[in-house]
Amino acid sequence: MTSYALLFTLSAIGISETVYLIRARIKSEKPVCPIGGGCALVLTSKYNKIFIVPNDILGLLFYVAASFISAFLVIGVGPLVFWYFILKLSVAFGTILSLFFTYLQWRVVHAWCFWCLMSAFTIWFMGTIILVSSLI
Amino acid sequence: MKKTSFHFLRVGLAITFLWIGVLIFKNPEAWGGYLQPWAAGLLPIPIAQAMIGTAILDITIGAFLLLDFLPWLAAFVGAIHIIIVLTTSGITDITVRDIGLLVAALALMIDSLPQWVLKWFIKKQPTPGMGQSPEIKNNY
Repeated sequence: MTSYALLFTLSAIGISETVYLIRARIKSEKPVCPIGGGCALVLTSKYNKIFIVPNDILGLLFYVAASFISAFLVIGVGPLVFWYFILKLSVAFGTILSLFFTYLQWRVVHAWCFWCLMSAFTIWFMGTIILVSSLI
Repeated sequence: MKKTSFHFLRVGLAITFLWIGVLIFKNPEAWGGYLQPWAAGLLPIPIAQAMIGTAILDITIGAFLLLDFLPWLAAFVGAIHIIIVLTTSGITDITVRDIGLLVAALALMIDSLPQWVLKWFIKKQPTPGMGQSPEIKNNY
């Protein structure tokens, strides 16, 4: 229950940040970049989408799915085993993808994007919570 | 309010509303137990259904705040909702927390009121000098 509350909270934070990035992109505005200063460079680089889908949209879909699944697991909307498996799988996939994007910022784009790092840390924290709750 | 602090408050309050909505969905009867008997007696529908309606309202308010969509309206409805909760659940050990949430919702609403609402509100106020003595008017 506690782990689901934390996962839900982190998903909600992820939703708010991806919605902000999507809004900024649609309005063609530069997002606020409190740390690093390379947000615009990273967000407009050629790595900002997978095939034709922008990364912020993919992130939003992931966080919305994670929040719904966490809520389903708390309320008891079945099949619970299936939902938990999907949650673990999607967080594992998101963790690997976030590692790849962090590597791209570090070694390829040579710029750090505050929002991308925040999203990466959010997903890694979600992964840590799932790992720890499985061990306890 | 500073823009960053506004967004911190908005997302924090959104998560609170969303999570309470989820918890009410999990066990609506238990949450219905917080209602005072006089308030439960006023309900035209079973208490569980009323609580599910409350959960839907909480989640809607939370979603609006989280997506930054009409935050002033969501905060306004949220504040009214909390006032109703305070009235119908009576004074308990956790009333102080509801008061904190109420003030947070009011702060969000006041800070995000759109210009047209402010203009409408100002129009309703009497203009300076109206109904005052000539001596006071001359001071303006």
